[in-house]
Amino acid sequence: MAKEHSVDIIIDGKQVRAEAGEKILWAALSAGIEIPHLCAIEEADPPLGTCSLCLVEVEGRGVVASCVEPVSEGMVVHTRGRGSALRRRAMELLLADHPMTCKECPKKGKCEFLKVARAMKVKRPTHYRPFARVELPVDTSHPRIIFDPNQCIRCGRCLWVCKERLGEVPFDFINKGYEMCISTFMSRPLAETSCTGCGACVEVCPVAALCLKEQA
Amino acid sequence: MQGHLNDLQQRAQKKWEQLEGEALTVRIGTPTCGRAAGALDTLQDFRERIEKEGVEAHIIEVGCMGLCFAEPLVIIHKPKSGLPPILYGFITQQHVQRLVEGFLLGDDPCLELALGTVEFKEDGTPYIPELARFEIEERLVLRNCGYIDPLDIGHYLARGGYLTLQRALQMEPDAIILEIERAKLRGRGGAGFSTARKWRGCREIEARPKYLICNADEGDPGAFMDRVVLESDPHSVIEGMVIAAHVIGASQGFVYTRAEYPLVIERLKVALSQAREIGALGENIFDSGLSFDIELVAGAGAFVCGESTAMIYSIEGKRPMPRVRPPRSVERGLWQKPTVVNNVKTFALVQRIMEQGGERFSRIGTVGSTGTAVFALAGRVQQIGLVEVPMGTSLRKVIFDVGGGIPEGRRFKAVQIGGPAGGCLPESSLDLPVDYDSLRQAGAIMGSGGMICLDENNCMVETARYFLDFLCRESCGKCSMGRLVTKQMLLILEDIVKGQGTEADLDLLAALAHDVAEGTICNLCSSAANPTLTTLRYFRAEYEAHVKEKRCPALICRELITYYIVPEQCERGCDHCVLTCPTEAITTDERTRRKRILQDKCVKCGTCLDVCPPEYRAVIKVSPPEKVKELEKAAGG
Amino acid sequence: MTGELLDSYPAQRHSLLRILQAVQQTEGHLSEEALAAVARHLKISAAEVYGVATFYNQFRFIPYGKHHVVACLGTACHAMGGQLILDAFERELDVKAGGITGDHEWSLDRVGCIGCCTKAPVVVINDVIHARMTPFKVEEVLAVLGFKKSKKEENAGAGASQ
Repeated sequence: MAKEHSVDIIIDGKQVRAEAGEKILWAALSAGIEIPHLCAIEEADPPLGTCSLCLVEVEGRGVVASCVEPVSEGMVVHTRGRGSALRRRAMELLLADHPMTCKECPKKGKCEFLKVARAMKVKRPTHYRPFARVELPVDTSHPRIIFDPNQCIRCGRCLWVCKERLGEVPFDFINKGYEMCISTFMSRPLAETSCTGCGACVEVCPVAALCLKEQA
Repeated sequence: MQGHLNDLQQRAQKKWEQLEGEALTVRIGTPTCGRAAGALDTLQDFRERIEKEGVEAHIIEVGCMGLCFAEPLVIIHKPKSGLPPILYGFITQQHVQRLVEGFLLGDDPCLELALGTVEFKEDGTPYIPELARFEIEERLVLRNCGYIDPLDIGHYLARGGYLTLQRALQMEPDAIILEIERAKLRGRGGAGFSTARKWRGCREIEARPKYLICNADEGDPGAFMDRVVLESDPHSVIEGMVIAAHVIGASQGFVYTRAEYPLVIERLKVALSQAREIGALGENIFDSGLSFDIELVAGAGAFVCGESTAMIYSIEGKRPMPRVRPPRSVERGLWQKPTVVNNVKTFALVQRIMEQGGERFSRIGTVGSTGTAVFALAGRVQQIGLVEVPMGTSLRKVIFDVGGGIPEGRRFKAVQIGGPAGGCLPESSLDLPVDYDSLRQAGAIMGSGGMICLDENNCMVETARYFLDFLCRESCGKCSMGRLVTKQMLLILEDIVKGQGTEADLDLLAALAHDVAEGTICNLCSSAANPTLTTLRYFRAEYEAHVKEKRCPALICRELITYYIVPEQCERGCDHCVLTCPTEAITTDERTRRKRILQDKCVKCGTCLDVCPPEYRAVIKVSPPEKVKELEKAAGG
Repeated sequence: MTGELLDSYPAQRHSLLRILQAVQQTEGHLSEEALAAVARHLKISAAEVYGVATFYNQFRFIPYGKHHVVACLGTACHAMGGQLILDAFERELDVKAGGITGDHEWSLDRVGCIGCCTKAPVVVINDVIHARMTPFKVEEVLAVLGFKKSKKEENAGAGASQ
């Protein structure tokens, strides 16, 4: 790291040297400061910025997603306070919107989503209105991959990795707002798409929305 | 080529002067809202009658003068009568014969149908001295609207059109930026960012090509300013865009408008090809060396596309989900190239500023917000329509002096400003000056200029629910905060309007609203909190009535009201309600002929209340719903 | 039909929106075959085309009815009782917003705002704007356009009133 390309920032009172243009999240993690994160992929440009779990407060700028916001000289970052309260809110609602059928879940014990929730000490809240999402059929058509749209937390990691590998993705985000979700073309079975079954999406999926058949 | 424009201009002017000085002209406003009021029938009828009677008259289709409440509007100018042009309102087919026979053929100007006479200010802006609103209004953006034929570039040229562009093209771009800076012009899209700064930022970047986008994606429900400007005076926007292209060095421009505005698309297409014909668009514009053209892009119904990064994705053909800035669009915008996005009215104002000078513009309005603001005044207000006033004019003046106040003697309750991202301001805010900073302090935003009046018959809780419902449908869904917090807030509000809310819900609602305001990646969802926060702040008592007493004070929330026919007021021989009830929920007592609503069949559509003759007013709404039992008991006993 | 139409547009991603609009204009809706053809023309995945198309309210994946009713629920229309108008259409036509009657004669949709706020509440039926609607006028407008309640319902209605 060349010196002229480095900047000094302060995270939670600790001086941190970071590469100019680097995102706050990765600078913090390299300095040993934990910020929860789920959708973040360091190589993704632009960053996904979907999960709202890495929010931090930057003085003079307000709350930002640390995986998206680049560092700048003299930046003062607080990972506690408002950022932490907002991260909790996002996690609570993600949990409230998730089926939580953990006992039968193929990712049981390996669920990244749950791990982050535990690290944040957030349990499934009871004081919200139930989202009552309509249950969708699980797609087991593909010889290698099971796609359970009900488990999806809409982080978009599968799309990113699939675009990197395949180029022509067999699924994409559809709809918008609360109805936004991942879907194949016209909800066709995955087996009828260009999916090669390479399993890269399964590796990055933080929940059990995408699983290998052999795991299930 | 320069001579060419001057030639065209002179010819157009001569024609215009003939038209204004000698000919008998009938101007008919045919913008979208005029059409909804029947303007096309009026037009057709005028055509037929004039032909039949052999009257030598020019019929000119014009845009919108902003007096939408009185549509269809007709302006007749008969120079021989010695009278100035006269503006007539509410001219549906039935009045055409009277006007043709009375005024076109005879000497009677039919003053009983007139709203006023059309006079002109020094700069040619028409105004109606008889209407008090014109004393308050200052029309810069709307200067030509409703008086020229938007489909005839000759009208625009005759009023000095494109001469400003010709002059600007000979100026150094930096000199133009200085002029815009002198005017202190802030973007009219709502955020109020300095236009000069945005342009300078883009101008300084080396990368090529550069793009220019006119944001005409007026997605805010209740706003129609941009539609009117583009339908009524498209060339002023095009002229402003070419000036901007010269400044930043753009080679390609886009107007991004809504598919819901077919007339805008139709008229813009014509205007663009006319501008190309006279050399105001295309290669080497007016011999200046600038080559620039404009492509029309029609959105397909997505509110979020009004956000500039989403709009850029939409033009690229991708899913229009806003992205986080930086990088800003002026650095990496359309196809990763430097891009300036400005609102329709900003471009129209650029044309005016370059014509009249920045100094003059900066003297209008307030120190921080110069110039004029255009509002679309709608909802529960007398004179619905477009309003253009100097920045800093109080809300009271706009709503009561320009808009004529609330109809039918009802009480003003709130004004909703700035669209779904704006806020609801109460009576106590009426003396607030309308400018970017005052509105923000009060919890609303200028937005692009929708102003919806609400009266005692509007429920503020239901209004908050409405806006959240809209935002939930229209948000992109990308970040968890935006997607889930807005949905959760909506679920709570849906319960409250059904009488299933609790006092604790109000605190949770406020907490969620504060969170979403801070924690989302784009302005769409972060401003989603505004309607909820402002209604909670200014109308808490109404929320409390809903959660504590299960009562809707405005008698709107369907689950909290019942319809009731007051027996003493029911004229028993009249069967209006019985005959019109869509669910046959109204019975007649055989003996007394009294009408009674069968509550289990009633769908609460309100038809009976609508059709009950005003002299009886026998149908009322009561809340909470149980109250009807007491009333029935008292009446029966 | 789609093939010829597609060839008149350059195979650039930038054309996607206007191609989808043109297809819907000529065919009335976006069918599975048409979407797949668009994807092939632009050399992008059909899933991506579907992802873009589903973002916009304008696009339909089932055909319109012969009469297409769009109820405006913009702010002004809402403040003036727009929901009651939509309710009335849903009740009269016996379909929900987004749906179509069994005989494919009538389809019903809602829209955010058509910018005709001064005439609120409005509905658009086959591109004609009907201004200042009331629930009562809904029946009238439908009757003028030749809507007949299905036989079954009429009978049920008659039965109830007897």
